[in-house]
This record gives sequence, C-alpha cells and structure tokens, in this order.
Amino acid sequence: MRNLAVLAMVVALPFFVRPALAAEIWIFAIFALGCNLLLGYTGLLSFGQSTFFGAAAYVAGWMLKHWGVNLFVALAAGTGVGAVSALAVGYLCVQRSGIYFIMLTFALNQLFYFVAYQWTSVTGGEDGMPGIPRPAMLGIDFSDPVAYYALVSLLFLASLAVMKRIVDAPLGRILQAIRENETRAEAVGYDVARFKLLAFVIAGAFSGAAGVLYATLFGIVPLEAIGFVFSGNVVFATLIGGSGSLYGPVIGSVVFIWLSESVSTVWARWPLLLGVAFVVVVLYFRGGVVEAWSRFLSWRSSRRAASPRPSAR
Amino acid sequence: MTLLAGQILNGIATGMLYALMGLGLALIAGILNIPNFAHGALFAVGAYLTVSAIGATGNFWLALVVAPLGVALLGLAIEYAGIRRLYAAGHDYQLLFTFGLSLILAETIILIWGPVGISQLPPPVLRGGVDLGFTFYPKYRLFVMAAAGLLVVGTWLFLEKTRYGAIMRAGIENKEMVSLLGIDIHRLFTVAFALGAWLAGVAGALTAPIRGLSPGMGVDMLGIAFVVVALGGMGNVLGAIAAGLLIGVAQAVVAAYWTEASVAVIYLVMAAVLVVRPQGLFGIR
Amino acid sequence: MALLETRGLTKAFGALTAVDGVGLAIEAGSLHSVIGPNGAGKTTLFNLLTGTYAPDSGSIVLDGRDITGAPAHRVAHLGLARSFQRTNVFPAFSLLDNVWVAAFATGRSRRGLMWRPRGRYPQVEDRARAALADVGLADKAEQAARAISHGEQRQLELAIALAAAPRVLLLDEPAAGLSPEETRRMVELVRALKRRYTIVLIEHKIDIIMSVSDRVSVMNFGRLIAEGSPEEIRANPEVRRAYLGGMAA
Repeated sequence: MRNLAVLAMVVALPFFVRPALAAEIWIFAIFALGCNLLLGYTGLLSFGQSTFFGAAAYVAGWMLKHWGVNLFVALAAGTGVGAVSALAVGYLCVQRSGIYFIMLTFALNQLFYFVAYQWTSVTGGEDGMPGIPRPAMLGIDFSDPVAYYALVSLLFLASLAVMKRIVDAPLGRILQAIRENETRAEAVGYDVARFKLLAFVIAGAFSGAAGVLYATLFGIVPLEAIGFVFSGNVVFATLIGGSGSLYGPVIGSVVFIWLSESVSTVWARWPLLLGVAFVVVVLYFRGGVVEAWSRFLSWRSSRRAASPRPSAR
Repeated sequence: MTLLAGQILNGIATGMLYALMGLGLALIAGILNIPNFAHGALFAVGAYLTVSAIGATGNFWLALVVAPLGVALLGLAIEYAGIRRLYAAGHDYQLLFTFGLSLILAETIILIWGPVGISQLPPPVLRGGVDLGFTFYPKYRLFVMAAAGLLVVGTWLFLEKTRYGAIMRAGIENKEMVSLLGIDIHRLFTVAFALGAWLAGVAGALTAPIRGLSPGMGVDMLGIAFVVVALGGMGNVLGAIAAGLLIGVAQAVVAAYWTEASVAVIYLVMAAVLVVRPQGLFGIR
Repeated sequence: MALLETRGLTKAFGALTAVDGVGLAIEAGSLHSVIGPNGAGKTTLFNLLTGTYAPDSGSIVLDGRDITGAPAHRVAHLGLARSFQRTNVFPAFSLLDNVWVAAFATGRSRRGLMWRPRGRYPQVEDRARAALADVGLADKAEQAARAISHGEQRQLELAIALAAAPRVLLLDEPAAGLSPEETRRMVELVRALKRRYTIVLIEHKIDIIMSVSDRVSVMNFGRLIAEGSPEEIRANPEVRRAYLGGMAA
C-alpha cells in the first residue's frame, strides 16, 4: 500500500513541479534514506554526510567530464567513493559516541570541504566543477529533463527497494538494537563498532549515488555539495519526515526540497528562514507536528514491527 | 629561519585564540552536554560587534570590553529562550537548534554588515612592529598573544582555584552529583553557556585586526574549535589549551611552506592523532 | 571438572580494588551462588566474566580454555550469557524481537544478514519462542517490552540470556524489585533451569539462595571470605559478621 503511494507520487510529481525539481527531490530522498539508516535506525547522528555526497559528485563529475564514461559507470564509481570515504570517516568516528561522535563527523566533513576548497585544479574551488555532461545511453538522450527524471525516479525506487530489503533483514533489527540498548546488543554477541561502521558504509554508498545524480542533474558540482549546510539539510529533512521509519525521509525530502527551492529563488538570504525553521520546529513542533507525524508514520509501519524512535530522550 | 620563527610566533598567537575557542566549547559540551554548533557564529558576532563598537566609539579598548559582553548577553538569551528547553531533547534536536541559530546569526551578519569581507586596523598604539632581534614582528600579534594568554590562564585559574570553578568542573564529571549537593544545576548551565559564549566573543574581538572579517568566519572557527576539543580530550582544560597551541603552531608552520594546505592540515593532524589515540592527546579512555 | 573457573581474578579502579584475587570453580550443571553485602564486588566480578572489563590480573577458564580478556561481544559466542541487575532490554521492540535479536547473534550462521527477510529464519524464531516459553512469556510475544510489567521485564531479561543457548548463565539479581509472589515464580523458574544450564547466581534474598544453590561463595570487600554448601555458609560466623545489619530476610 505504501509502496503504491510512493509509486503514485513518483509518477505524479512532474505534473506538479518542473521535472528538474522533481528529480532533485528524489535525489535528495536517496541521500536521506542513507542518512536515516544511521540516524533513525542506528541512532547515530552524523553531521557530515555531505562528505560522501560531495566526494562522489566530484569524482563522478570528473570521470564524466574528462574520461567520457557513461552514466552507470559514473554511478558505480560514485557509490564506491561514497562507501570507501564513509569507511575511512566511520572508522575514526564510531569509536566515540554522543556529542563527541557528532563533532567528529562535522570536523572530518570540514577536512574534505577545505581540501575541495583549495584543490581548485580538480574541484574548481569556490566556483565548483561545471560542465558535467549527461551522456546518452541505450539510445536515450538524457539531456531531455523528462527522460532524466524517469531515470532518476527509477533509481530512487530501486534505492528504496534496496533499503527496504536491508532494514527488513536482520541487519535492520540489529542496528535498532544498537540504538535501543548498545550495552545489551554487545552483551548478546554483536560487535557494535563493526555494525556501526557497516551502517556508515551503506549510508555512504547511498549518499554517493545521490551525489552523482546531483552532479548530472545540475551539470555542476558546487562547493556547497560538500559543505556543512548540506549535511544539516539532510538531517533536517530526515527528522521532519520522521526518522526511524523507512518512508519518513522520503516525505521529508519532498517537503524540504520543494520549500527550499521555492523560497531560495525569491530571497538570497533564504538560509535565514531555514535557520528560523529549524529553531521553530525544534522548539515548538518537536512534540507536536513532528511527533504527530512520526507517530502517524510509525502507526502505518507498526505491522512490520519497525519500532518508532522515541522522540524525547 | 626568521620566516619559520615568525611563523611560530604567529602560530602561538592564533593558537591562543584557538585555545580560547576550544575552552569555551569544551565547557559548554562538558557541562551542558549539548553540541553547540552556534559556537563559531558567536565568535563571528564578537568580531563584528567589535568592529561596530570601534566605529561607534573610536575606542578599541572599550570595544574589546563591550563586544564580548554583548556576545555573553546573546549567549544568556539563547540559553534562556531555547537551550534551556532542550536539555532532555536529545542531541539531534540540540544540534538542529544550534545549527539553525548559526544560520540565523550568519545571515543576520550579512544583512547588517553586508556579504563582503571587512578589515579592521589595530588601534594606533598597537600598529607597526617591534624588533625582536631575529625578526621584525607586528605589535598587535604580540598583544594578542599576551591578552589571549592571560585570558586562557585566567580561565584556567578560575576553573582550578575558585569554588565556582570547582563546581563547574564537577558538573562536567557528574551533573547528578552536583545537583544532589544542592547546587542549582540550571544556574550552572546558564553560567557555563554565557561563559563559553563570552570566550568565543573575546576570541572574535581579538581576531578582527589579524585576519579581517567575513560572514563565513564562524563556520571555519567552529571546525577548529571542534578539533581543539577532540584533540584536547573533552572536558580537559589543560588539554584544550595545549591542543589549541599545537594546531595553531602546526598551521602556521605549514602555511610558511604550503599555504593552501594550512587549513586542511589542522584536520589531518586531528585525524592522524585519533587513529593512534581515539581519546585525543590528553583524554582518558 | 569445573566448567567455569577463575584464578586470582583482580580488578582495581584507581585506589579501589573491587575484585581481589577471586578464585572460583563452578561445576558443570550446578547452581553456584555468589553473595555478599552491597559493594562487595559481585557485579564487578560478573563484568569481568563477561568481558565488560578486562581484569588487571588473573585468569578466566571456560571448559579448559583460557578466555581471559575476551571482549564483551565475543563472550556470548563462547557460551556465557548474562542477565543484568537493572533491567536491560530493548524497550521499543516486541518481546519476540528482543529474544530474536539475541538468538540470531549466536545462531549458526549470519547468512542473509543484509538481504534475507527476518521472517525466513525458522531456526532462529524457534529458539526465540522457546526462550520466551521457558520464562512463561510466550503468549505476550507481540507486546512491546516497555509495555509489560516490571516483573515480566525481569522474566524477559532472563529470556534474552536463554536465547543465546549458553552453557553458563550468569544471573545478576534476577529477583531484584519483585514482589513476594513474583519472587516465588522467579525462583521456580530458576530451579527449572537448573537441570539444563550451569548457573552462577548473584542474589541478596537469602531464602532464594538457600533453596536453589548447590554451592555458595561469599564476597566482601572484593575478596572471597567463605565458600561451601548453603548450610555451611548459613552457620559461618564470618559471613554473619560481614552481613551485620545488611541481610535481607
């Protein structure tokens, strides 16, 4: 039932918004699915997911621009880059917990950001990496926005299916167990650090895939794609949609991207409104709209015993 | 070699500022147990308020006193209006709140002072350089070294030698125990946040004539503050000071030979240390 | 031969020596209780056995194999399972999921970890349901752990340890916080488990100790001060001294 609803949304969306915006929504949803595996399921708040998103975007963008690879090679490479960079970052971070963990993910994100900022010969620095092509494949011309949207939405649906498979498998429960009670999870025999790292790598792979699609959507990799605002945005989208359920991040992405794209074209100081939105949601709607929404979502997924994440701890 | 010596001195000056930032963040993180992603923005506000205060009064010394107090007041307001309600909320909401705050502050800075960088000259008495024998060194940087150094030592003395400082350190170790001893834990949180904000404000105020200002200066400094805390060990005052100096000097030395890498090197040092010692240089396992 | 042995086990936290040269020999199939006043080091002893802390010195031998220093997540695989003094379950999970997760951890293989739906693990599910049935919670399998009573949570606590199909059960005050009626049921439960598992029990309630133990060791200030049958221990003047004013009837 839920799957049908998502399918319907995917088909219907380009009739409501322009295809490029619709594509951006689903790309962000892939990004948010990965973020939620860490945040909602494992209880790990990583504030540096744009590291993997951006790194994959730059590598894939480079490959598409200079080596003329096709989209699927780029996608595979980006997913790989996302996973490997997540392995490196995760390895350093999972040994710590709480605030320390959050700060480390941010600090390492900054490392990648500054490397991207300085390495202008490769990344273009502040100007970003422009001129990324969307090579035709199997006879389909992907420079047509509708064709590209179809590709993106198919990939999104595939990502959703993969993530669903993962969370319905034992790994989903194990990660939730780590979130619920890390001590007990370890006592019953799980190498918690290894599982956290696994979650990190999977999330990194999803982030990487999203990064590649982002690069080919806009034809450019902006420096912001590896910056901390991006990292914060995906956390926000995941939370407003309702973390801990599979579809929450999808909803959150729809809401967030639609709103942010609409407002940002109107006012250059859009981040001010974003900041206000964060503050207001956290202060006033944490127990209201957000919790009500996630409770609604978790009621819908309660048959699968996908436990809702306790919102106030 | 005079280049190196000069850079090392630069590194000590900025390292002291980094130590101030790290100290403030460590206090907030240690006592309130929240991730303060607005800490860099408070630093930026301190810098911009200083510039405006100098513009309004023409008096650098007055600005140096007033601007950090302004930031401390801002900290009090933030704690009162927001953070206070989030202690039980979980780190993700605390993060979003402080992150949202950092966006609001950064954008407000742009609205008030414009998006372009501003530069600020040191006060006339601190302009120019001093002949140190091996190099001719800017007076203002020596002043920063001294002033920041004094503040760092002063903070350390406050924490180590005064009664309230002991309460704060106890609060880092064990909040429940402190409140069980009858100490008003909420007042402690408020004071800690205001003190952390004040330290960030002071660092911002001192930094204005060294590096100039830009709306993004807060984010850069936030990352560095995190590195200082990560290296210094959470809640470890001496550790934060040592870590700040270490990365300040490391950055300055690298900048002498390879300017582009000078910022990234801070994070690389952190990553390298954490591989070998996950608890930081001075943290306890 | 003793199934589980410790030799000279010692652990200090700074100036406090929590466990001081403790040597135990737990016979296979027996129920061996460890008692002592609060702060005697009993829970620390358990933490050493389960790898939560590494001992400063001494060794732990399971079935002839030295397992000293094995990390906490390996211990379940070696055959030691533990229940906690303060209820330590997965609150948002159903009871079945609580034990399922424990059963899967020590299952024969983890094939399909990332792709096989959880419903397709019949052996794991059987073990999980059996563990729930053992503690009498089979009919509540679908309820959330945080929704059941404290007494039932203590039973769940035990079931999670059973789900690992261990050789040795370490039970840390299973009757903590239970009413007299619930305590009686817990004692029956433990007695029923006696034949199938080797059990090390920490308890404060003396009547439980007396009624189920084959052997009793007494700790005080980190050291073993007495060991023997329940009757010998009850009559031991040193034990009485140690417990002065502290014994729960």
